[in-house]
Amino acid sequence: MLLDVKDLEVTYGRTRAVRGVSLSVAEGEIVTVLGSNGAGKTSLLRALQGARKPQGGKITFDGRDMTNASPATRLAAGMALVPEGRQIFVSMTVHENLLMGAYLRGEGGLDRDLDAIYERFPNLATRRDMKASVLSGGEQQMLAVGRALISRPRLMMLDEPSLGLSPLFVAKLFALIREINDGGLSILLVEQNTHMALDVAQRGVVLELGREMLSGSAAELAADPSLAEAYLGAA
Amino acid sequence: MLLLQQIVNGLMLGSVYVTVAVAFTLTIGILNFLNFTIPTLFMLAGMVGWGLAYFGLPFGLSGPLPWPLALAIGIAAAILCSLVVERFTFRYLQTKYGDSTEHAIPLVSSLGFLLILENLVRIAYGGDAQRFPGPSGDLTAEFGGLFFRVPQLVSFFIVLALIVGLAWIMRATRIGRGLRAIAENPDAAAILGVETGRVVPMVFLLTGLLCGLAGALFAVNYGEVSPQMGEDIGSKAIAGMVVGGLGSLWGAVAGGIVVGLVEILTVHFFGADAVQVAVWGALLLTLLARPQGLFGHNAIGKGKL
Repeated sequence: MLLDVKDLEVTYGRTRAVRGVSLSVAEGEIVTVLGSNGAGKTSLLRALQGARKPQGGKITFDGRDMTNASPATRLAAGMALVPEGRQIFVSMTVHENLLMGAYLRGEGGLDRDLDAIYERFPNLATRRDMKASVLSGGEQQMLAVGRALISRPRLMMLDEPSLGLSPLFVAKLFALIREINDGGLSILLVEQNTHMALDVAQRGVVLELGREMLSGSAAELAADPSLAEAYLGAA
Repeated sequence: MLLLQQIVNGLMLGSVYVTVAVAFTLTIGILNFLNFTIPTLFMLAGMVGWGLAYFGLPFGLSGPLPWPLALAIGIAAAILCSLVVERFTFRYLQTKYGDSTEHAIPLVSSLGFLLILENLVRIAYGGDAQRFPGPSGDLTAEFGGLFFRVPQLVSFFIVLALIVGLAWIMRATRIGRGLRAIAENPDAAAILGVETGRVVPMVFLLTGLLCGLAGALFAVNYGEVSPQMGEDIGSKAIAGMVVGGLGSLWGAVAGGIVVGLVEILTVHFFGADAVQVAVWGALLLTLLARPQGLFGHNAIGKGKL
């Protein structure tokens, strides 16, 4: 397993946001984490990225214990996060945002990687020297993904990437996730868009109030009556 | 012609304010922290420089040092002191009490450093103003009927080079991008591997360098240092920064020059007693017309550098 999470506990004050969650992502796999607001999805990702120290459990990445590693150590090892709300730097240009993705890795082969990003996202190439604030929501999401790709990750963790995007961009986004996965990158996808997420993922975990409610293959989850009732019915 | 000469003098004085105002704006822009040790760092470079040039190294280790060496050590002392302040106010409080959302505590502790250092210098060297044995103030150059004192002219270009260099660091280097990332969004910066604990000391190093250099240039150009010399410069630099726009590098440059010009022209037309009224009056008028300052943004503390 590339990423192995065992019995993770994350507490905020007196709130136990994540209660004993275990999950794993194999090399080249897409695993999705589903659940409604407040289910603990973002807290789980914050603990995986290193912003929040877990109160219990263990995080292993590529055989290395990362439970208490700094965010920079995890990123250097290949764990990249595309945060909720994209969090691009609006005071910087598109190009500078991409360079921020290379903050840790340095300049070696950077030009080639940047060219590859601009080739993949022509809209970013034409706005290269403009402030990132001029980008549309969808373009900002592409920039956030491009910025994470520049760090040369082995696992990309995406936190609700489809949130606030138009249906057209949501479709583009999931096509992009599939495409970068085809290139060999493993993906941990946190989503509320259950249909689309189960469509691209091989496996999934459903969280409810910080606990693991269901887990299994994407096909099993899609067919599960309790999940259909809770999340798929409305969609 | 006399007026034009006064404008030249105002620019020269303004360049000292500019340097200190840039130091203020750097910490405000990146850390959202009004660093009150800045005036002390300015004073420290001047007073340590004077002490070394007058007495030599402490404990009789050397005789009086030549003034350029003495001032270089004074600047180094200001940088060192700034890093100590970072370690024991900003970083200590941040690691102990979480993020720096509570701005009053670092501010008050930096005020504590200001008073402690000022009074330590007073204990060491006495409270009197001292004459700094710099180069002769009589060295002047004339261009088109205007007189420039050579040390001032050299200082002006040193300040100019330093600020252009600083703007370049902020715009085009990895560490500059890291600092701007922290300024705009510390969480996103952390996600990309920017380690605040490693990058923030850079802000304090630059602060020490700017203030130390300003203090040294002041000592050379105005030939006088005292334990209080930072107070007046510090308040005028704050005024300059606010006029230019909090957290804006070029705003601090413009604001510092405006304050220098207002001061010299006020002395020329109304006498020295009117200076504070004119400077702070100009500040209030600027704020009434443009609350964000000349070059400032509306969102204080959000990605302006």
